[in-house]
Amino acid sequence: MKLFSPHRTIARSAAAIAGVASIAVLASCSVANSTPDGDSDSAGDTLRVVLTQEPPTLEACDANLTSTGVVVRSTVTEPLVERDPSTGDLQPLLATAWEQTGDTEWTFTVRDDVTFQDGTAFDAAAAAHSIDRAVNGDLGCNVEGYIFGDDDLGLEVVDATTLKVTTVAPDPILPLKLSFIEIVSPETSADEFVREPIGTGPYAIGEWQAGTKLTLERYDDYWGEAPEFAEVEYQWRSEGTVRAAMVTSGEADIALGLSAEDGIGDLGLSYPNNETIALRFSGQTAPLDDIRVRQAINYAIDREGIVSSLFPDGDKVAAQLIPQGIVGFNADLKPWPYDPAKAKALIDEARADGVAVDTKIIMPVRTAQFPKVNELGEVLREQLAGIGLDVDLRMVDTTQHLQYQLRPFVGDEGPISMLIQHGNQAGDAQFTVEQYMLTGGAQAEFGDPGLDELITTARNLTGDERQAAYEEVFAYERENVVALAPIAHQTVMLGVSDRVSYTPNSSTGDELRIKEVSLAG
Amino acid sequence: MWSYLRRRILQSALPLVAVVLGVFVLVRLTGDPSKLYLPLNATDQMRADFAARNGFDRSIWDQMGDYFLGVLQLDLGESLRTGEPAAEMVLRAFPATLQLAAVTMLLAVCLAVVLGSWASLKPNGLADRIVSFFSMTAASVPDFWLAILGIWIFAITLGWLPTSGTTGATAWVLPIATLMLRPVGVLAQVVRGSMVTVLGQPYIKVARSRGAGQMHIVVRHALRNAAAPALTVAGDLTVGLVNGAVVVESIFGWPGIGKLMIDSILQRDFAVLQAAVLVTALAIFALNIVIDLGYALLDPRVRPQAAKRRRGGAARPDKHAEVLTDA
Amino acid sequence: MPDNDASTVAVLTDRARRGRASGRPGLWGLLLRDKVATSAAVVLLLAVLTAIAGPMLFGELAQRQDLGSRNMPPLSLHLGWEYVLGSDSLGRSLLARIAFAAGTTLGVSAAAVAISAIVGSIWGMWAGFHRGWRESVSMRIADVIMSFPSLLLAVVILYVFNPSAANIVLVLAITRIPLYLRTARADAAELRSRMFVDAAQNFGAKQGAIVSRHIVPNVLPTLVTLATLEFCYVMLAESSLSFLGIGIQPPDVSWGLMVAQGRQYLADAWWQSVLPGLAIVITTVAANVLAAWLRLATDPGQRWRLQAKRRRRLIASIAPRR
Repeated sequence: MKLFSPHRTIARSAAAIAGVASIAVLASCSVANSTPDGDSDSAGDTLRVVLTQEPPTLEACDANLTSTGVVVRSTVTEPLVERDPSTGDLQPLLATAWEQTGDTEWTFTVRDDVTFQDGTAFDAAAAAHSIDRAVNGDLGCNVEGYIFGDDDLGLEVVDATTLKVTTVAPDPILPLKLSFIEIVSPETSADEFVREPIGTGPYAIGEWQAGTKLTLERYDDYWGEAPEFAEVEYQWRSEGTVRAAMVTSGEADIALGLSAEDGIGDLGLSYPNNETIALRFSGQTAPLDDIRVRQAINYAIDREGIVSSLFPDGDKVAAQLIPQGIVGFNADLKPWPYDPAKAKALIDEARADGVAVDTKIIMPVRTAQFPKVNELGEVLREQLAGIGLDVDLRMVDTTQHLQYQLRPFVGDEGPISMLIQHGNQAGDAQFTVEQYMLTGGAQAEFGDPGLDELITTARNLTGDERQAAYEEVFAYERENVVALAPIAHQTVMLGVSDRVSYTPNSSTGDELRIKEVSLAG
Repeated sequence: MWSYLRRRILQSALPLVAVVLGVFVLVRLTGDPSKLYLPLNATDQMRADFAARNGFDRSIWDQMGDYFLGVLQLDLGESLRTGEPAAEMVLRAFPATLQLAAVTMLLAVCLAVVLGSWASLKPNGLADRIVSFFSMTAASVPDFWLAILGIWIFAITLGWLPTSGTTGATAWVLPIATLMLRPVGVLAQVVRGSMVTVLGQPYIKVARSRGAGQMHIVVRHALRNAAAPALTVAGDLTVGLVNGAVVVESIFGWPGIGKLMIDSILQRDFAVLQAAVLVTALAIFALNIVIDLGYALLDPRVRPQAAKRRRGGAARPDKHAEVLTDA
Repeated sequence: MPDNDASTVAVLTDRARRGRASGRPGLWGLLLRDKVATSAAVVLLLAVLTAIAGPMLFGELAQRQDLGSRNMPPLSLHLGWEYVLGSDSLGRSLLARIAFAAGTTLGVSAAAVAISAIVGSIWGMWAGFHRGWRESVSMRIADVIMSFPSLLLAVVILYVFNPSAANIVLVLAITRIPLYLRTARADAAELRSRMFVDAAQNFGAKQGAIVSRHIVPNVLPTLVTLATLEFCYVMLAESSLSFLGIGIQPPDVSWGLMVAQGRQYLADAWWQSVLPGLAIVITTVAANVLAAWLRLATDPGQRWRLQAKRRRRLIASIAPRR
């Protein structure tokens, strides 16, 4: 009995070898749709940046989304005016001058020496086209909802360098709002989103190997000062340790979204990023509808302890929802002191009055929202449990968290005290206050008529009056409303290799302006 | 064989539809995506527009009907997140994972066969204990842990390999090494186990008594007969790899389908998720068919023609034949 | 899987049973002979005891935060005996957390394995025994479950139900059923076609009797081995889910979650990730060793390897008896 047949064995061996060979060939080719680099990247010409995630799109009218804006804003496209994050002032960019020429009208003078990356000339009409597309159009641009709401802007092109913008109601901060509108080529379709926009910025989009790498190339006809790097290469890694490793091992020059434990060492730069974390209360559900309970929660949080132990790299204890540098910041407001005894006393007082303080309070916390968010959730739960409250910590993902965060809120699960993170990118308290404190605001679970009045008055003021009015808003909220328990103003870390030199500011995470990055030495 | 193939393909069609339907329904139970994709202070009107644009305001049956009609026309919908066609995104990501999985499994099988056979020659001997210990430990380590340790040791400390990414041949080393460890561990044990059984068979003794050398026995006789359980397990492991080397892809920035799937799940990108599941399920079914054909290749008793012949009236029914023809 | 004939199986089983009565070693005796398997069993027993007693003994200690003693390295005994393994990022004793988490981890893994094994095996044996359309439909359902993305299942369950360890059990149990289903079916189908089943049927034995006396005992060894291996896989799967953020959620704790969360601190506080990881590795290796031993011990055709005295084993390994 033959145990095997020589012919079949040979045939099979041949097949096996062919199989192995073909897979080896497959493997030696590059990974699907990623072309291998030509020459070494460490030639001084290319700046390599590693982000936390791939930009879902580079559509300019969604540029207020950090994952899009970090690449596009002031790099590929430019707005009429640019906000300086350190001073809060508006700097001219595509517009050279602007003034309020009427109650509801502003006039902008724009540059005449600018061309888009596709060759078309920039003029007031092009600016009007972009603003119209973003704000008035039907696209549903993110910047429309975030900054402008339902109101449309009236646009009148007086001549090639003059543009008149009319608002529905008097708006003293219209130029600030316009700093969010990135100007794109008038050839851009107004009916659909455009993944790779054409702007006036110093870099044009070179190649986007979706999933792998995004490359920008220097635009030679840029109207301003030519940037140092000929190319910018963006990659993305979801692990902080990997991003840090790329910088320390020379594979990247700049890494965003790091924290101290990622191993970045001396190459890490910590900076405040405009984000503030706080607990937000559902003030219409017992026991959180009693102001004493809300105050008690504020007294129960050991903010100093939390900041010094969990976030020691520069986070500051917060007394309000906006950090210093934002118009309306009340420097006289002191953070709630840590006083667990007083907190317990308040709870007992409420209990004696029949408030149902033993109801389970739900605390939704978003997983991976920022480094150590898990730990913070557990600490808060512990501290609130320490004053006798029954808190159910719920770690949920982004979509689930948003169900709690935005209208229509979750109303059938009992009292909710959720951890939120708010970043005021715009530099003015109006955005914060009208979202979180005004009755009917997108993230306001309840309101107060007195507070509403203060808020609506402050909206139309300018200069020092505006500053004072918003300071009063925060003070009033702290005394009489207690809709929130602010915890800390956050910092974030940037990794910068020795090869380049860059000083981060509070907007770095929202818009990384490549023109501000230079070679070291 | 062709009729068998045809039958299997037809039989796989219904499960495929069931999987896609299941995903379709389940993913719509996970909350309203408009809150994620619209700005924070979007008005109710904007939400209504968003829902209308994407068909979410219609009944689930209507949506399902639309979707399947689209699939028949090869239109798998658009990504909510990027606006690109879902089919394009999935077909871009899938080959990346496939390459990874193929190379990993190939290396894993080769290594496991060598280690397992070597260990089985002297059961409970030194080689056996070393291989067993190694393979058990290899099968017990969490993969993301290994990946991060690997990056730490080889990329950061020693600088031999890149930390992540897909460029260059060296970028393959760490991801494949991480992915490979568990399959090698599991397969080596399986190969060892079945080789031990096979080497104890009478015909091996016969071959030895005829003067056949050790290598000859192992390769020509033992391996082929020990292959069946190893094939099952290798198949399961490959399916596991295809289904998502999610962790490895996340850490190393590999643009594969695992990463695409977890991202689209967490961001409620319905169309992309459905497309990804469709493509992955197709691949898994195809893989199962290939494995069953592999059984046939290895063991002549198992082939459908053999089974047909035998069904005529043999005294000894065969397990594998019945496995193939009826299931 | 034994290739031996059914008659050999029956004879050996009988002989083994008789052998035990006459003083030859039973299962326990075999275990005690093999030092490696004994140590594995002891380790596993320790793990189980920790899992049962841990939550009771260490429950409070595992939750006690102390922000001043964060990230203390192991052997920081100056802070107290409970810091012998160091402290985690909130100053909680790592020893207490690991002991407490043992309960969740082993509980989740054991529950998931038990559910999927029982459901899958019974279903598979039923399908394999009856053949026909029952078998085809079961196999197709197994295909569906296998191709279904388990990550989606995890997220959906997390969303619909409140985060709890039971969710993970559900997810892991459902996704592993097909493995038992297919194995049990294949074995049952093969055994059913053997002559001894025909013989039993000819003798008028009822279906239930056939299944319980002939099919189940023969399928059991493979399933037991499979379950033990699956136990390890489920523990690792749970840690991967935690890594992705869709597994066990704080304030619950498990070894997998500790490893996943501790990975951020690998540079400064490696013990937070490495020690729970070691716990996983040690437990799974012990389970694997025991599984390998069980496989030999419950397989009448291979038992001799464990029963033979050392010298005889040496001889046997050079010139195999069979």
